[in-house]
Amino acid sequence: MSGLELQSLLPQILLALGATAVLMLGAWYPSRNWILAGAAIALLAALSAGLIAPAIPEVAQLYSTGSYARFFVALWSILGALTLLLSLRYTEIHDLPGSEYAALVLFASCGMGLLSAATSLIGLFLGLEAFTLVFYVLIAFKREDSRGAEAGLKYLVLGAVATGFLAFGIALIYAASGSFHLPEAFAGLQQDGGMRALGLVGWALMLVAIGFKVSLAPFHLWTPDVYQGAPAPVTGLLATGSKGAVIAALVPLFVALGPLKADLEQILWVLAALSLLAGTFAALPQRNLKRMLAYSSVVHMGYLMIGLLVGGPAAYRALLFYLIAYTVATLGAFGVLSSFSQRDDEPQEYADFRGLGYLHPRRSSVLAACLLSLAGIPPLVGFFAKFGIIAAALKGGYPGLAVIAILAALASLYYYLTPIIVLFMQQRDARQLRRGGRYEYFVLTLCFAVLLLLGIYPAPLFQFLASLLP
Amino acid sequence: MTFAAPTEFPILSLVLWLPFVGTLLCLLMRHSPQACRWLALLATLSVLLLTVGLFVGLPAEPGWLLKENYAWIPSFGIRYSLALDGISLLLISLTALLQVAAVLISWKQQEHPPLFYALVLVLETGILGVFLATDLILFYLFWELMLIPMLFLIGIWGHENRVYAALKFFFFTLTGSLCLLLAIISLYLIHGEQTGVYSFAFETLKQTQLTGGMEMLLYLGFLLAFVVKVPLFPFHTWLPDAHTEAPAAGSVDLAGLLLKTGIYGLIRFAFPLFPHAAEQSLPYLAVLALIGIFYAAWIAYAQTDIKRVVAYSSVAHMGFVILGLSAWNQLAWEGALLLMINHGVTTGGLFILIAMLQERTGSRDLRGLGGVWKTLPFFSAFFLLFCLASLGLPGLANFAGEILVLLGAFARWPLLAALAAAGVVFSAAYMLRVVQGVLWGPLGQSCKIDVKDSLPTDLDRREWILLIPLALLVVWLGLYPAPVLEPLRGPIGLLLQAGVLP
Repeated sequence: MSGLELQSLLPQILLALGATAVLMLGAWYPSRNWILAGAAIALLAALSAGLIAPAIPEVAQLYSTGSYARFFVALWSILGALTLLLSLRYTEIHDLPGSEYAALVLFASCGMGLLSAATSLIGLFLGLEAFTLVFYVLIAFKREDSRGAEAGLKYLVLGAVATGFLAFGIALIYAASGSFHLPEAFAGLQQDGGMRALGLVGWALMLVAIGFKVSLAPFHLWTPDVYQGAPAPVTGLLATGSKGAVIAALVPLFVALGPLKADLEQILWVLAALSLLAGTFAALPQRNLKRMLAYSSVVHMGYLMIGLLVGGPAAYRALLFYLIAYTVATLGAFGVLSSFSQRDDEPQEYADFRGLGYLHPRRSSVLAACLLSLAGIPPLVGFFAKFGIIAAALKGGYPGLAVIAILAALASLYYYLTPIIVLFMQQRDARQLRRGGRYEYFVLTLCFAVLLLLGIYPAPLFQFLASLLP
Repeated sequence: MTFAAPTEFPILSLVLWLPFVGTLLCLLMRHSPQACRWLALLATLSVLLLTVGLFVGLPAEPGWLLKENYAWIPSFGIRYSLALDGISLLLISLTALLQVAAVLISWKQQEHPPLFYALVLVLETGILGVFLATDLILFYLFWELMLIPMLFLIGIWGHENRVYAALKFFFFTLTGSLCLLLAIISLYLIHGEQTGVYSFAFETLKQTQLTGGMEMLLYLGFLLAFVVKVPLFPFHTWLPDAHTEAPAAGSVDLAGLLLKTGIYGLIRFAFPLFPHAAEQSLPYLAVLALIGIFYAAWIAYAQTDIKRVVAYSSVAHMGFVILGLSAWNQLAWEGALLLMINHGVTTGGLFILIAMLQERTGSRDLRGLGGVWKTLPFFSAFFLLFCLASLGLPGLANFAGEILVLLGAFARWPLLAALAAAGVVFSAAYMLRVVQGVLWGPLGQSCKIDVKDSLPTDLDRREWILLIPLALLVVWLGLYPAPVLEPLRGPIGLLLQAGVLP
């Protein structure tokens, strides 16, 4: 690798080297403060992604350094930093090692940044595996917790299967087209005859793996158990970054697909509709906040699939906007969960939240705002996110999906309102206060402000996203 | 339509966002309920003063009197555009008035007062926004913004069955709203494909050329959202629950204002955007309205909870309003809109009185009430006045509206209007039953004076201040409605022209 290539990939390298440094130094000087150091490193990476112009547009035909890629590198770095801030008190009360945790989260951010920047199937595979491996560890990070171990194992077994599908799918596409690099990899599949069928089979296998990673129905069954068992801040990162990075990588992939997309249309339609319906029906009876958010994330992935399916600049812009809205609201919701968690109990069941709205009005309001934003209620950002997707679906000629999306939004109100009702409309239990930490409050305030500001004035973000698109 | 020049000073935005500023201040000062109370009163009173100023100061002309228009989300063609004509002027005045009443009636709110007043003030911004917005997405945003505070007002401060009622209200209206959203986006896309101009501005979308089937489909989307809110039979089932379970301020806002947003949506957006489909729907609307008048009266007569009686009476009154609209002539529309205002004042007043009664006796059940006149004469006098106004006694508020509606409707649907006139008798039946059950007869179980308690006190100073203006308004609107009809005349003429006269 030349110096120019290194300079172009600086943010990801900063994350990886920073993670290594934190890990090594942490072995000699164990301290909780490594988490803060990790957050600082992640912010530094985000800054370098935002401020330092890359010297070359593509590194080793693997990773793009264009503005689209840089934006997501910065986004996932910031997400990593926020996750670390959310984890500071959490790791302390559960007595988790600080430097290892910080290093793992930094590695995860690095993997997500690589994935979102991938311009070749190999880059995609490497990025995806980089952070999936980290999550195997992070999910089971509370070693004594049997539910955490179960969740980790579930994610590991299913994740390994998905990796197999992905690798085999990539191999088939390579066999059919003779290239890993994105436009060329699909160019070979355009014309009829030849190895086209093989390439399409490869695509189907890849879709299975992607469906698993972002938990599209019918590949979503791991989601609730893993969400429930993982530590709350980790679940936050898993729900936002690990899915968002895959979706962000899919957009350039689909742009590169060109006319081949027509062959995938029906599969995507079914995946989107199925995710919307299955997620909705599964989320309705939940009485556990983490499981509910797990199933509702399946629904959100369905919305994102609509954006992918429709295609074109307007739909991709709506999709990215939706992704950001979803990320902020989900991070906020899991942030509130982390900040409510105590040494020996982490509130998950709705019964744990009874009347908490009056004991902790600010954090409960943030949780309510996050849930209402996920439900798409104005004036929160979720409204314009759903609005963009539904408008794109109608414009792209998918009225059926638009109607399903509207119905899913309507039903979603029920499962999003139930926890809010529990928080604010039930009798207060005389329990002990659940104190949170300073950094958690900071992150939650940030999420709340973004939800509200983008909800009231989304125009700049829409314009910015439009300028990013490849 | 003539356009007024954009105003120099954004007075509409000031009116709209003043309550919202009050909300933020309430949340900041949440440790001092007393401050929040006065803050809420100050905010609502300032809005009232501003709207009264507008009412007096603006000329009674057709067309927009004030406009504001700024770019907001250019990539979707969404603009922040507000406009005010005679109809919106009257409705925002009514809103401002009833919000002051809602704050005053909840003066002694004990549970979480800061949150309560904050929500009441957000609700006011939402309602005002609905009456002022002319960009369809902006309108939709305010339309939704009304839902959330109302959900919490019912769900947190309501009576026994509050969560059920809150959710029912929420889902009924939200189902309608989402149909509205789908229709709005479809209209926007159709217009964009025809002209290349993607805009949500009402004036622009009105030019869209639609095929008959598509027009009907989109119209039904709009119609569903609005008639659920009105509510028109058979979409009314959320209303009795929500009205009954809501706290006093919530009932006042629901009956006085939220129902009016449905009617307003119909005349401002649904009818002008889809005139042909609207014309076809008129007979059905008229018949449903007539059924609503009788059905609601019938059910109301069987209720023992006075709040439920008044709730069903709202359904009946809204039936009259829709009947007036479906007649599609100047007289009936003037009557319908006047009845809307009158209904807001009288029903708002009734809910306020019921709240006062419940404060004193702890009951709203007709079986346990009775003989209140003996212990609370002043209260009873007001109660009688508002009940008589509600049943349409000539000389009091509702009569003026109802008679205009009936006269106008007779020109178009003679049979239906004749039948509807009989509905007035029905409303007399159930309202008089309430009057009899509450005010007269032997002292009811709930009205017995406890040994340790002294007599329940009659109206205090705050309640006098609250009731006298409303009572004066009821008499004034009944005897001399001309000042209210004046600003309505021009805009109604324009709206009727814009559609097709049958």
